[in-house]
Amino acid sequence: MCSITKPYVLIIDDEKRFATMLSKRLSLRGYLCEVVYDGESGLEMLPRHPYKVVVLDLRLPGLSGEEVLERIKIEQPDLPVIILTGHGNEKERQVCMGLKAHSFLNKPVDLSALVTLFETIIGSESTQPTEGMIES
Amino acid sequence: MIKKRSTLSFFIPRRWSPRQEMKSYFTFRNYRRVWLILIVSLALTCLVPLSIITVTHQRIVDRAMNVERILRAERVTSNARRSVGNFLAERMDALRFIVNEVDYEKLSRNDQLENLLKNLTVGFGGISDLGVIKEDGTQVAYVGQFNLKGKNYHNEPWFKQCMASGQYISDVFKGFRGVPHIILSVKAKSPSGDFFILRATLDTAKLIQTVRSYQISDYADLFLINHDGIIQTPSTTYGDGQQKILFNVPAYSARTHAFEIRDLKGRPFVLGYAYILAGETKTPFILIDLKQNAPMGTIWDQSKIKAMRIFYVSVFVILLIVFLSSTYMINRLYMSDSIKAHTLKAAEHKSQLASIGQLAAGVAHEINNPLAVINEEAGYMMDLISMGDSPPDNAELTEHMQSILDSVERCGTITRQLLFFARQFDVKIMSFHPADIISDVLKFFKKEAEYRNITLTVDVSPRTPVIVSDKGKFQQVFVNLINNAFQAMEDSGKLDIEMSPMDPDFVCVTVRDTGCGIPDENLSKIFDPFFTTKGEHEGTGLGLSITYGLMQKLKGKIDVKSKVGTGTTFKLIFPLNIEGESKS
Repeated sequence: MCSITKPYVLIIDDEKRFATMLSKRLSLRGYLCEVVYDGESGLEMLPRHPYKVVVLDLRLPGLSGEEVLERIKIEQPDLPVIILTGHGNEKERQVCMGLKAHSFLNKPVDLSALVTLFETIIGSESTQPTEGMIES
Repeated sequence: MIKKRSTLSFFIPRRWSPRQEMKSYFTFRNYRRVWLILIVSLALTCLVPLSIITVTHQRIVDRAMNVERILRAERVTSNARRSVGNFLAERMDALRFIVNEVDYEKLSRNDQLENLLKNLTVGFGGISDLGVIKEDGTQVAYVGQFNLKGKNYHNEPWFKQCMASGQYISDVFKGFRGVPHIILSVKAKSPSGDFFILRATLDTAKLIQTVRSYQISDYADLFLINHDGIIQTPSTTYGDGQQKILFNVPAYSARTHAFEIRDLKGRPFVLGYAYILAGETKTPFILIDLKQNAPMGTIWDQSKIKAMRIFYVSVFVILLIVFLSSTYMINRLYMSDSIKAHTLKAAEHKSQLASIGQLAAGVAHEINNPLAVINEEAGYMMDLISMGDSPPDNAELTEHMQSILDSVERCGTITRQLLFFARQFDVKIMSFHPADIISDVLKFFKKEAEYRNITLTVDVSPRTPVIVSDKGKFQQVFVNLINNAFQAMEDSGKLDIEMSPMDPDFVCVTVRDTGCGIPDENLSKIFDPFFTTKGEHEGTGLGLSITYGLMQKLKGKIDVKSKVGTGTTFKLIFPLNIEGESKS
């Protein structure tokens, strides 16, 4: 019964060790995490669970992060997508915010800040994008 | 305190050449040479036309002066010819009149002859004696200063000629009396049917006076010569005696002529001449008018002098202006080049820093990823300790700590690469293989290439040798070009680098991308400083200009070919040994 209340989080990042550890730490904090290492797999995972939030890297093999974001917003416009990238410059931030990303975070990220962001998103009925870059 | 400039500084540039290390940034290496070329070309441009005009003017004036001299000589000669001809003709006519009007008997008597001589002296002057000579040559009557009655002239040439032609005018000679004189004689018939000759001796003083009366200038010399060129009346040029003239006897002409000649001593003259006729009678005399090419003191001379004065003043003013303006221009050019050189040097330094910064930004992603792993691993271990139901076992902790160590090693590798790369900018001339440098540079573009699906191909000919060059500059050339190519290409582009030896002393590297290409109209400008087709904040326009400058410093060449929509190819040629190249 408890698992029904746990929110699903989809992590799309080609840095396998990072994605795995993030998934483990979020799981300890009550989230159900799915991890994929490229954009195509992420898009395939979307219909499988009612994800509350997607954590997306930008530099991915195959489809780029921007392309994945665009496709997610076409398929599930209300699904919040948090961009988490190792090298997020202002130009990329503007592109992603233009594609309706919820937030734009740089690696390495403070997990507590990330969890707070999740709670804000999941606790809020609205999924309006957060303006500005949240620095880790 | 304002430093006072010396007058010389207005005429000689302040600096001739830049400092050695700044030379490559200046337009010229030796400004003294440019200054000299400028002065010579400007001076020639101004002085050549001026000289041509002046020389042409002088020639026209000289020609006009000569024409004037020739015309004047012709006029004077013609007038003098008439006077001398009339002088002789009058006296010949008087003799003819006498032999026609006075009986032979009377003429044979000295008293009658004396009366006639008196009348002739009063009427014409210049006749010093009269004589009547029979057909056999015996002088039957004579009045004059000498006692010549009874003298026989049968064998004298003048007698023979007079008998033959009926009249005779001799040239000037001294004869028995030792005084220069001229014989005038006419032949007539006596009542007995015998021929006789009436002969008069003409004093040359009056003739000389007649000739001289036309000599109105110190530079003119009027005199008579005979047909053999012997001087008959005194000449200021060739003397008073019976010398020969120092030029050829002019050819016979019934008209007066004048022209320019040089005598045997090479002196230039205008020669006017005329063969003298005494009425219808030919004489042995030729009138000569010699004019020296002396200043005429006319408007022509003044015009020449004025033109020469204008010429010299103009030359002085032109040279003054040429020196002042050339020095000013070179000073300004040097100053402008100096500012440009310092700007370019500063820009080059900034570009070096920018290219390191650009690479640093490129590798930040690579550092942030392992840092993020470290962050999550450490965080997870903390979670295990603080949130776990039981203490974590050593094996699990060891796994996470190893992951942290691996990530730290990743970071270390990246920062070492970056530091090594940055240090190359300070490296001076050394020996290296060009492929190694390109490989180092490409390491920093590898991730971006993967991310953007750009294919990187490097084809190095095995014959490519090690080169001796400035490694730092060599490296920066390729950072700039590859950076440029990445900016020009869309995702999934292709960058090919080929390297091969060229001739015995060079290495050729081509960098070919499949970017947007450069329009033809921009192709010639891409190496100009500050030329950019990017937006205001996207590019400084210095990248390729600095690359061009770097290639010059490496004593290499760079060439570009491009087609819009297809891509751009840069061809770079490096000397195998930059020091050997510079020595040659």
